[in-house]
Amino acid sequence: MHDAPLNPYLPDPPVALDLTRAILARTSGSPCLRVQDLACHFVDGELEATQERLVRGHLDHCEDCAHLMKALALATTLLPRMAEADPGPWFTARVMRATVHATRRSHEWRATWMQLLHRPRIALEAAYLGTAVSLLGLSLPMPESLPAPRALVRTLSPEPLLVPLKAPAQRMLGQLVAAEKRTVASVQRGLKLDGAAAEGATSAGWWQRGSVRVRGWLRGLKGMSEEKAPTPANP
Amino acid sequence: MPTSLQDPLRNGDPLAWEAFVRAYQGRVYGLAYHYTTQAEDARDLTQDVFVRIYQNLAMLPGEEGRLPWILRITRNACIDHLRRRKARPPLWDGPAEELFHLRSPELNPEEAHLEQVRAARVHQALQELTYLNREILLLKEIQGLKVEAIAEILEVPVGTVKSRSNRARLELAQKLTAIGMGA
Ligand SMILES: [Zn+2]
Repeated sequence: MHDAPLNPYLPDPPVALDLTRAILARTSGSPCLRVQDLACHFVDGELEATQERLVRGHLDHCEDCAHLMKALALATTLLPRMAEADPGPWFTARVMRATVHATRRSHEWRATWMQLLHRPRIALEAAYLGTAVSLLGLSLPMPESLPAPRALVRTLSPEPLLVPLKAPAQRMLGQLVAAEKRTVASVQRGLKLDGAAAEGATSAGWWQRGSVRVRGWLRGLKGMSEEKAPTPANP
Repeated sequence: MPTSLQDPLRNGDPLAWEAFVRAYQGRVYGLAYHYTTQAEDARDLTQDVFVRIYQNLAMLPGEEGRLPWILRITRNACIDHLRRRKARPPLWDGPAEELFHLRSPELNPEEAHLEQVRAARVHQALQELTYLNREILLLKEIQGLKVEAIAEILEVPVGTVKSRSNRARLELAQKLTAIGMGA
């Protein structure tokens, strides 16, 4: 029956495949797309017998779908085996250094610090250090503790020098001094700070006031001791 | 199930911690390598992940929730790293054949090598997938996490993970056929 074609006008098998595709494209849609829909279920063995047989039938005749199915099966086998990768033989030791050993080092630092804090004379030492720092701070010259320009001008007041001179010279020098005072006043106005700078100035002023007050106390105490000192000496 | 207070790992026992690092370093490094495609970056990230875990040992879940928790930390570290690296596009790090432990004891050395070459090609094909599809494959097909855990990690609905999962596998198979695998 297969020896000779019954009808010489029947097309060859490859053409028959194209014909099948052409018919399907105009009727049920592409079988390849249907196979793609079912591919994962086919590879996972989740298809019912009839559907599986139909997919196998298609794969026998469609090379593209057969390749796709083979690649999908390969990926399905390989993917779970790729969960782990080898970071190298010394990696665990590296992690241990970054975790346990690093933490131990920080614990050691903390222990040393705590040991220092729990020394018997720590309060005395801290008080001594604090006092030393405070005294050092109080004796440091602050910008505002420098003599103000006005005071400087007053110090350099020319009146005593002018006595032997005549009136015109006195007038001229008086004008010069007045001009100098005006310049100083305008410079001081220009130096008035605002915003953040003003805060610094305020804190410096606070420091200076504190410093002046403490020095005043110290002077007072010294004065008192000087006043008291001679009393026992005088009968 | 929360770990008991007597757990030496949670108490910071160095031996228990070392065993823990050995047990999970391959997983963490594997995922980090898939994300970064660079061995050294993946190694640094893996170390950072373990430092983070060590600092949060008190929060370590019980056996069942442990792997999703670790992989979530790893994934977040990788995403942060990739965000920082945005200005510097990822470089292909060369052959990945040696990186993967392919657990197939039934294979002889020659077959095992062939499998490793294939794994490297799959790794390369994965880089060409759309981002969400790639992440779903990394977490579901490679790391074997449950759909619910993946949805939580990726912050997408469970339905999205389910519907995308098979599409992602098919997309990967298409990329593999394009580079001649499956022929
Ligand atoms: Zn087909």
